[in-house]
Amino acid sequence: MFNKVLIANRGEIAVRIIRACRELGMQTVAVYSEADRQALHVRLSDEAYYLGPAPARDSYLRGDKIIAIAMESGAGGVHPGYGFLAERADFAQACQDAGLVFIGPKPSSIAAMGDKAVARATVAASGVPVVPGTEGEGSLLDEELLSLAPKIGFPLLIKATAGGGGKGMREVQALDEMAGLLQAARREAEAAFGDGNVYLEKLVEGARHIEFQILADNHGNVVHLGERECSLQRRHQKLLEECPSPFVGDDDELRQLMGSVAVRAAQAVDYVNAGTIEFLVDKDKNFFFLEMNTRLQVEHPVTEIVTGFDIVKEQIRIARGRQMRHTQEDIQLSGWAIDCRINAEDPYNQFLPSTGIISHMILPTGPGVRVDTGVYPGFEISPYYDSLISKLIVSGETRGEAILRMRRALEEYKIIGVRTNIPFHQRLMDSHRFMGGQYDTRFVEERFSLEAAEEGKGSLEDIAAILATLVAHQQTQRAAHIIQRGERGTSNWKWVGRWERMHR
Amino acid sequence: MRYVTTIGEREYLIEILSDGQVAVDGVVYNVDFESLSGQPVHSLLVDNHSYEGSVYPVEEGWQVLLRGTLYMVQVEDEREKRLRASLGSGPADYGEYHLKAPMPGLIVAIPVNEGQEVAKGDVVVILESMKMQNELKSPRAGKIARLRIKPGDSVEQRATLLSVV
Repeated sequence: MFNKVLIANRGEIAVRIIRACRELGMQTVAVYSEADRQALHVRLSDEAYYLGPAPARDSYLRGDKIIAIAMESGAGGVHPGYGFLAERADFAQACQDAGLVFIGPKPSSIAAMGDKAVARATVAASGVPVVPGTEGEGSLLDEELLSLAPKIGFPLLIKATAGGGGKGMREVQALDEMAGLLQAARREAEAAFGDGNVYLEKLVEGARHIEFQILADNHGNVVHLGERECSLQRRHQKLLEECPSPFVGDDDELRQLMGSVAVRAAQAVDYVNAGTIEFLVDKDKNFFFLEMNTRLQVEHPVTEIVTGFDIVKEQIRIARGRQMRHTQEDIQLSGWAIDCRINAEDPYNQFLPSTGIISHMILPTGPGVRVDTGVYPGFEISPYYDSLISKLIVSGETRGEAILRMRRALEEYKIIGVRTNIPFHQRLMDSHRFMGGQYDTRFVEERFSLEAAEEGKGSLEDIAAILATLVAHQQTQRAAHIIQRGERGTSNWKWVGRWERMHR
Repeated sequence: MRYVTTIGEREYLIEILSDGQVAVDGVVYNVDFESLSGQPVHSLLVDNHSYEGSVYPVEEGWQVLLRGTLYMVQVEDEREKRLRASLGSGPADYGEYHLKAPMPGLIVAIPVNEGQEVAKGDVVVILESMKMQNELKSPRAGKIARLRIKPGDSVEQRATLLSVV
């Protein structure tokens, strides 16, 4: 079996996988793009190979080059991480064909879960509940959709078949308004994707996004490692995850029921290695299969903390053909973990991505704090890849302790050079609804605002005023030393005029 | 030196006295102020209470990030304040506005044409960066002039994209 692993990824997840390999005594091979020569994963690995120019399609998506490098370096296993090539059945197949072990599921499982309609049909056939809808039916005419709608029930959603990002999506409350909304949705879908086909899906009200981590080996054993609560999202991007879910809470019956359904969904596609089953859960605790992620998740560490499992090491052991050492009965959830995704985004400016060199950084440390990151002071955040800088994960005996610890850790965390969403997380930790666990997938976009959350908090406005004044004063004093009248040899007015024109 | 420092509606009269003292609206505080290793992070002791904040210069003044809250601060000496009072409006309301790329990226779409009238808040450019599509909006009403980009262009950070006159 293989003793050397090629990591077909970058950033914090590449570093995470290298750490697991080190602990297992395995050699690591990194690959990097032009923008990542100085990246942490290159510095930490045993070997590193240049892939290509910075854009992902020329580097981290070049499956052919990655396989060639694996062959050249003698790596027997390939870990895809998440994103890039992780859910590409053709890449997994190509690895297999080249005699490499793909550390993940079989190509057929990736393909089955990758197509939404096939995935729904497959799991529904094995008795797993899915959100009622017409997606599996193909393209339908308006009359057909109108006659199917009452069977699905209102409220429901019209969604674009080619869709994403909310384009071509309409909420329907009653049948009489549906015809008009169908037209609008088709028009919008046609404009956005060049495809006016739509389907219907029941609207799950007050929905929570709860997912189950599963592990499956090559010997027919499948277990689940409990749930993760991922309802805090913005534009369908997760921002914070916790384990366990405050919604499931003490309801162990619900947990075991959902867990066994997740296991069944995985078995339906003959799944091996680590995977995640995502569910939508309504306020009456009805749950529906949403999709399966056939890879390691970004938020896997919260599960690791609460179960004591090292999921990445388990992935490698499973890929090496080992049998899992644990049965479902051995797996106990203990304590609480919260993960905040720290992104290079400016929460005060519409969450616009922020690029630049990290000039200064202080990581939070101390009891119960874990930081998974791929950056360091001096490293440049480039515009080529996603904006995740790090994951800040804290643990506590209870949810309350974890929240207070997260507050403390966020305050310690200093990143200078790029803007980050740390202030957003700090406000979130102060939100009463978050503290009470009362939130659903629409909370961040509809009921949370940075400004509103700031009201009623002990203000440090006067301190901010003093600080800004001192900095401004210092700058004026310095400027007075540098620019003195006439020293430039030309009129300062003229010089300023030229300078302004230059910066247009 | 005497400064008028404004946060929102509130004005502070701040006087920098010698030997580590400032007066805020006439009340004197002992302050010790250090920039940490040449970074925009500052440690401030006010009567021995310890604060740490980041201060960034921006077009409209200073942004101060203090314990997870962002304050927008204007600092003016008394003469500047009189000048601004006589002008009577913010910088975005007169003269030309040059929209600059807030980050490097790829121009996905430009929903406006040269010469077109736009209102404040209208989306004028869609810029893709870090796998996200970002809508850049006009900060004021006006007419689009000097469109320097077309869809598919790659732009550097701070590159001027268009002007609103």
